[in-house]
Amino acid sequence: MKYNILFGGKAGQGANILTHILAESLAEEGYHVFYYRDYKSLIRGGHGFNVLTFSDKPVHSNESKMDVLVALDEETINLHKKELKKEGVIIEGKHENMYFAGRMYKALGIDFSLLDKKLKELRRYEENLKQAKEGYNSQKKGFEIVKIKKEKRDFLSGSIAITEGAIKSGIDCYYAYPMTPATAVLEHLAQKQKEHGHLTLELENEIAVANAGCGSAITGAKTMIGTSGGGFALMTEALSMCGVAEIPLVFYLAQRAGPASGVATYTAQADLHMARHAGHGEFPRVVLASGDPTETQEITSQAFYLSQKYSCPSIILSDKHLAESYYTSKRKPIITKVGNLTKFGRYNSYEKDSKTGSATEDAEIIKKNVEERKKKWENLKKECEKFNGYKIYGKKDSKNCIVFWGSTKGAILDSIEGLDVCAIQILYIEPFPRKVQKILENKKKIISIENNATGQLCDVIREHTGILISDKNKILRYDARPFLCDELKKEIERKLK
Amino acid sequence: MKTKDTNINTTTKPTWCPGCFNFQILAGFKSFLAGELKKGKSKEDFAICSGIACQGKIFDYVNLNGLNTLHGRELPTALGMKIGNPNLDVYAFGGDGGTYSEGISHLIHAAKQNIDITLTVHNNQVFALTVGQPTAVTEQGYVDKTTPEGVFSKPLNPIKLMLNSNCSFVARVFADVKQVEEVYKEASKHRGFKFIEIIQPCIIFHADKGYKEHLKIIDKKHDVHDFDKAMKLASEWDYDGVDKGSKIPVGIFYKEKRPTLEDKHWQLKKLIKKKKSWKEFKR
Repeated sequence: MKYNILFGGKAGQGANILTHILAESLAEEGYHVFYYRDYKSLIRGGHGFNVLTFSDKPVHSNESKMDVLVALDEETINLHKKELKKEGVIIEGKHENMYFAGRMYKALGIDFSLLDKKLKELRRYEENLKQAKEGYNSQKKGFEIVKIKKEKRDFLSGSIAITEGAIKSGIDCYYAYPMTPATAVLEHLAQKQKEHGHLTLELENEIAVANAGCGSAITGAKTMIGTSGGGFALMTEALSMCGVAEIPLVFYLAQRAGPASGVATYTAQADLHMARHAGHGEFPRVVLASGDPTETQEITSQAFYLSQKYSCPSIILSDKHLAESYYTSKRKPIITKVGNLTKFGRYNSYEKDSKTGSATEDAEIIKKNVEERKKKWENLKKECEKFNGYKIYGKKDSKNCIVFWGSTKGAILDSIEGLDVCAIQILYIEPFPRKVQKILENKKKIISIENNATGQLCDVIREHTGILISDKNKILRYDARPFLCDELKKEIERKLK
Repeated sequence: MKTKDTNINTTTKPTWCPGCFNFQILAGFKSFLAGELKKGKSKEDFAICSGIACQGKIFDYVNLNGLNTLHGRELPTALGMKIGNPNLDVYAFGGDGGTYSEGISHLIHAAKQNIDITLTVHNNQVFALTVGQPTAVTEQGYVDKTTPEGVFSKPLNPIKLMLNSNCSFVARVFADVKQVEEVYKEASKHRGFKFIEIIQPCIIFHADKGYKEHLKIIDKKHDVHDFDKAMKLASEWDYDGVDKGSKIPVGIFYKEKRPTLEDKHWQLKKLIKKKKSWKEFKR
């Protein structure tokens, strides 16, 4: 059993909260749930929609065809009717969002008490309750639903996972300037200040954010900063300073479609090369990318650990799709703990003489410093081997192989079932896991799947292993939308032929 | 018992031009620091942060913990250090190039936020270490290789800018060891963002045009809490050169007691109360 439900309406009509409470209730009922938010860069009006997919089996992505359209306005029907399956259902009417909640809870066989519980957590309880009751009572027909055993699961977005990972790593300070899709982390961390005791601060621009991050990090405070591509571009000079001054700053980079202002509220994986190469000069760095919220918590803790231990910058790569989608997960994250290892002293953005902390132009000292940083890089690489730098899914001994990184994981996991293929996820972009080379060398066909136009991971693989993935074996999506698993499955099948 | 380390000198040899007014600023700051250490403070109570340019080298000559940060970024870096350990007395140093051009947004916001740190701007009205280009405070008509037609716009008046940005401590002095030490002493009594501009003629690219003869020590009777009077005083010299009748007011223009950024965050107040940094504080 698998249901794809689209909730559409104008911004401000409350499709988001409607989707979220229903998704939460389904997760509480024991279902596997995933939902995606598709919204435009506007505040009121326009058209936005969410697609909720749930199943009695693990699910991490949407499909292209809908079982149900929940239409809060006419426009939703006009725009999405073509996505409705033949036997699909439209739920419509001139009502407020909680009327539709009532109808959906009833249709999905969820007890009204669960909806009531959710409504109590919201504003305007009485009004919402009236609407919900009306909807619940007016829905006569139920959908065919497989009842399953209730199991406790996490239900998180990528943004909440960054927040949770940072808190579990003992974050002290977080600085940011608002930019979609990174802002949710600033919001979540700001809300958690009372409970956890850290501090969040919004500063005048990303340059201030990055430099303040450096200032706090050298005093021994565990510090993270967050932004999207445009803001990260402004931070790159400070990133370079982290390299030479050996500052343990954690960067959260939530990608959106670019270049420049790009497509503000839509997704892409086009900043992989930027994360790897940003900043002038040569210096060690860590670049990590997770594919779901559980992994996100894990790599966030690893970023803090590696930054503290090796006094270097770490970059956590996410994107709009991972940051703002919600996923159920049964697996508990493995958090890597680290103390505040940084000692306040004399730090320098210039090449420095370690005896005085002052700037130097001495050739011998410069050479020594560079070599020390190189050695640190080697040690860092060695240590990273103990983490899951890569993971393999599907038919492990298949001669066919998919390579991917980041948020495409959901659609890939949901589409490879039953196919003669394995999928290798790269979590450690830098340092790149050495063992991947041997695995790939034994494969006959390697297909890359990425949310960008050039296949940036292919370049990374070519650089580290010498293995070339040809353009005809790349499945690339660059319309700023995430992959849908049924469409992706067909594409993979075509490539495997 | 181990004697306390009070050595604020580094072994780094200064590379400022012989006779540079930066030596006066360095001596004034060190003299102030020595006084503070004598009063019982320790080196670890202080932190230093400087930007990049001639003035930035002060970091190399004062043996305090801190960061010689990027050009124009001394303020956000200093803010980060202060938040990282609010018990530190943080001294940021910038030049007119870095602070009034590259990093001017930080200046306005630091004043607005009223974070309890001290900023010194070495104002020599020129980009000196890059060999003499005009900055935001260079007088009209100034010619160099990059600006053969001469500067065409009026210089910025940073004192007015700071007053308008609600800066809670606004002062200007000349690069003279006594004036410098005195202004630090006064500033250290104030909680909040302290803006100190030091007129520091560059002997190579923007030589002293007789500024010293035109200085006007701000009258003791000047009410430092009167914003309008401070504005009037700030208008007396517009940085556009000096002529016969010019008067350059020096001293404290304005002071205002108001909550600091630290006061607004309970986390920082807690660290101050416990006299601990984030690193030392167990939550």
